Amino acid sequence: MSTEAAITIQQLSKGYQESGQRHEIFKDLNLQVSLGEFIVLLGRSGSGKSTFLNLVSGIDQPDSGEIVINGIQLTGLSEHDRTLFRRHHIGFVFQAYNLISTLTVGENLLLPLELIKRTSRQERNNVAKLLDQLDLADRFDTYPDRLSGGEQQRVAIARALIHDPDVILADEPTGNLDLDTGQQVLELFDTLVTKAGKTLIMVTHSPEVLGKADRVFSIRNKSLVIAREGVYAAGL
Amino acid sequence: MSSVLNRASSNFLWRHPWQLALAIVGIALGVAVVISIDLSMESSLNAFDQAGKAFSGVATHRIIAGDGGLDEKLYRRLRVDDGIQKLSPVVSAYVFLSKQADAGFNLVGIDPFIEKSFQSIWQTRQNKNTSADLLTRLITEPNTALISEQTASRLGLNIEDDLTIDTDHGERQLKIIGLLSPNNAVSEQVLSRLIITDIATAQEVLEMFGRLSSIEVLIDKNQPDAATTSADTPSLVIAKPVPDRLLADTPSLEIAAPVPDRSAAYTPSLEIIRKALPGNALLVEAESQSQAMREMTRAFSINLKALGLLSLLVGMFLIYNTMTFLVMQRRGLIGSLRSIGVTRRQIFKLIIGEALLLATIGTLIGIVLGLALGQGLLYLISGTINAIYFRIDAASLMITPLQLGKGALLGITATVLAVLPPAFEATRISPVTVLVRSQLESGIRRLIKAANLISGIFILGGMALALLSGKSIALGLASIFLLLFGFAMMTPALTLMFMKLIEHVFGRLSGILVRLPARMVSAEISRTGVAIAALMIAVSATIGMDLMISSFRQTVADWVQTSLRADLYVSLPGEKMPGTRAEEDQRLKAKLAELQGVKMLSSVLHTNTAIARDGVYAEAGAAAENDFTKVAVFELNEKSRQGFIFKHKTDNTLWDRFEQQQTVIVTEPYAYHHGVKIGDKIRLQTDQGNEPFEVLGIYADYSGDQGHLAMSRRNYRHYWPDLGYSGIGVYAKDGVDLQHLENQINKLLTGQQSVQSDQAIYKASMAMFEQTFTITETLRWLSAAIAFVGVFSALMALQFERTRQLGILRAIGVTSGQLAVLITGETALMGLVAGLIAIPVGYIVAYMLIFVIYQRSFGWTMAFHFHSGVIYQGLALAVIAAMLAGILPALKMSQTKPAEALRSE
Repeated sequence: MSTEAAITIQQLSKGYQESGQRHEIFKDLNLQVSLGEFIVLLGRSGSGKSTFLNLVSGIDQPDSGEIVINGIQLTGLSEHDRTLFRRHHIGFVFQAYNLISTLTVGENLLLPLELIKRTSRQERNNVAKLLDQLDLADRFDTYPDRLSGGEQQRVAIARALIHDPDVILADEPTGNLDLDTGQQVLELFDTLVTKAGKTLIMVTHSPEVLGKADRVFSIRNKSLVIAREGVYAAGL
Repeated sequence: MSSVLNRASSNFLWRHPWQLALAIVGIALGVAVVISIDLSMESSLNAFDQAGKAFSGVATHRIIAGDGGLDEKLYRRLRVDDGIQKLSPVVSAYVFLSKQADAGFNLVGIDPFIEKSFQSIWQTRQNKNTSADLLTRLITEPNTALISEQTASRLGLNIEDDLTIDTDHGERQLKIIGLLSPNNAVSEQVLSRLIITDIATAQEVLEMFGRLSSIEVLIDKNQPDAATTSADTPSLVIAKPVPDRLLADTPSLEIAAPVPDRSAAYTPSLEIIRKALPGNALLVEAESQSQAMREMTRAFSINLKALGLLSLLVGMFLIYNTMTFLVMQRRGLIGSLRSIGVTRRQIFKLIIGEALLLATIGTLIGIVLGLALGQGLLYLISGTINAIYFRIDAASLMITPLQLGKGALLGITATVLAVLPPAFEATRISPVTVLVRSQLESGIRRLIKAANLISGIFILGGMALALLSGKSIALGLASIFLLLFGFAMMTPALTLMFMKLIEHVFGRLSGILVRLPARMVSAEISRTGVAIAALMIAVSATIGMDLMISSFRQTVADWVQTSLRADLYVSLPGEKMPGTRAEEDQRLKAKLAELQGVKMLSSVLHTNTAIARDGVYAEAGAAAENDFTKVAVFELNEKSRQGFIFKHKTDNTLWDRFEQQQTVIVTEPYAYHHGVKIGDKIRLQTDQGNEPFEVLGIYADYSGDQGHLAMSRRNYRHYWPDLGYSGIGVYAKDGVDLQHLENQINKLLTGQQSVQSDQAIYKASMAMFEQTFTITETLRWLSAAIAFVGVFSALMALQFERTRQLGILRAIGVTSGQLAVLITGETALMGLVAGLIAIPVGYIVAYMLIFVIYQRSFGWTMAFHFHSGVIYQGLALAVIAAMLAGILPALKMSQTKPAEALRSE
């Protein structure tokens, strides 16, 4: 893990209006994540974990504050530029897989590559190789809704990684999976993400994951509170 | 049903207001088109009925004559010599107001002091100033008239003002001596186009000296010649004033109570009348004329209604589409409801109840829209009826509860029928597992296979029905509907094949984003298929209509060009009369022949002749009893004979026999409607009794859909009096300056007479053709607009449904612009496939319209003229309509924030 900051978040605030009342999710939230660091985010349902990931990925915008990723100030970018940023730098694993139902497994993986104009034969081979690694080699032409939950999650992870992003965001990637499949997915992260030096922020409640994280944060009182850190976290 | 259960469903609708609104718009548009056509058509015909009955409300019979009218001596003879008291003479004609753009008026001359029992209504409520004074003035003062208060106000006229009218014989002045006040909407409409004068004034103004247009007859079936004082129709006969009403100022019009039963048998009075009639006159039942008019316009009416139903068919697809969406989107909700114990029956009732509510709202809006649209269509429909059938003046819609009820029933029934399949589908949703999309779509694909089979049956059924349904227009239209429905059901399967082809061709060459639109169309065929089918129906109807109209236009253009053999045509309009007026025509013809540049002349007289009662055709059976038939009386030369296009081979003897023997030739529509063949004999009522005329030939004629007979002038003059001419063809010598000749002829003409070149007539004919098809064009576009709303609705619903999917694309880096291109690409593909299928289907529709519907309706055959522009226009229409319909959903989805899209259900 490098000490160079991959993600810097300063004074981040986000809220929403409901029935004429404003509800704050975050207020003046600060965080610095180093290159290759593995952060786990905890919190009660509705505490804003998914919103946090959406903000970091540029899918959503904060009301105030700054998010800087790899030196690029995300909050200063237009919606279009944030999209372009996301396609190059972010890999997102959604809790509900969110595969494109009208594309096959192979096409779901090829699409992020196509968006960044990496369409060579080599890239196709990489897709096949990754699917092979994920034990999905025979599923290249299968549509997502023919896959089991575990298979879909593995495809979602593969899609988030295929274009070699700097930052990977994972929203409860094992939340819908049974224990064994969840274990498989975690090993996958371990192999493909942490060992490859990618920065990873994961929302999860899995004890196994907590043990592997560099730092564990919890969202409390509209802010991030460190729950466990370093060796302490590893000892869990 | 539980209100909470209802809320579970209705809350969903409220959260999708666009879909709700579009469903209602779809129903409303379908209902509006049908209602507007029905109302405007009925109003046009009612206006004719009412105007006709305005001065004959209590009459049971009417004595009518062909051109030349009736000699007024007949009236005297029947009344004085034969003692038939209940007779009312009428002189009437259409006139126009001088120097005003106002529509025409019916000038009606009546006998104000007619036998009392004949009086109906009009004056039974005369108030203080009506009046013997007024009526006496009408009789005693020449050129006096009554008009309605509304007409006077519209024209800015007062009592004692002069009204200048244009008749066939020039301008005439009438003095307004009283105003009529209608007392209901019908009488107001009737009076609004009426000028009432005394018989003598009408005869003088219209130059019908000694002639009558008709004689109204009142015969009681049970008690011949007994007085009857009530009627079931509006009437406008002015009563003989009675002393205590002398102070009344304005006569009024009201509708009287119905007569119990007055179906007239041949009473002695009727027999007496029949025996007294001259050869050109007929005694007809009063009702039969309006029935004949309705019969005459039946084909036109059926065609219009069919267009309206086509709109409703497209509307039904739209409703089906919308309701299917609403059901399928709620599969999760329905599954959850089923899992907590809601029964299939309750789900079914929920969906049907919802549809009924939407149908009621949509239908109510549709009725309001239909009334507004009907007012617009009324003008077009009246214009077309005026152009090709008879004179009507429909100023406003006549709305009856029955028509509104029909529209309401249609809207609600169509909606409920359209919602039945998705409602049944909803009941099949498993309470345990909500089917995933792939299972749903694979289920749909199984359905598509079944639909293909059914579509094959529909198409074959449509073809069989077209071949086996004889002359029935309704069954002919049903066969088109079956074919359209069959092809619509085949559309999803053809769409899948087309999308596979697109993917195959472009997929290898391009990336996933290019392939995705085709994939999206195929993947959601349950939604896209119906929208494409609706668009295909509308576009194929447009292509079919276009091809039919252009074929017809070309055929008519060819026919007019061929028929116009003379260089100049002199038109001699107006009522044709024997005696002085015919002699004037003869003198004019002689002067034309004497002009230096004139080589030769031809002439035509358009008149009516009564068909004999006792069996008309030797082989084809009897035509309608008591009927007139139009006759064109020709005086032809070598050149003008070349203007006839016969529908069969002719030999050299035809024209000799036409001139020398007791023969006729008939137009194609006449032959079709009356089942006449070459060699048949048509018996015509002449002054010398019934005479047979052999049919020598059948020729093309597109001037009317009822057709007519043509005979030589020599033949005609043998049996009927000289009525002059309706038109004279002038053939110039070689090298003559036609403009100079036209100017010379113009100097010889008077009143409404005119001269036109063959090219001017050609242009006028084609302009009339275009006017006739304005209504068809309008309805065609309305149908296309409904289809557009359908596609728009389907695409909006589709995009809303896949909000989350599109959000995922945005999350992984697809820009809003790319997303808009994706959605527009999908809609363009939908339009393209609809257009491609619509081209052959449109050809089939055109073929059916030309060779089945139009032939059965009007008796015309025409050549199928292909023009490739129709294909491109149809294709462009489909693609542009679909793309336009896709713009808003594309913009909306591309502007939706990815975070919001990902949160959507």
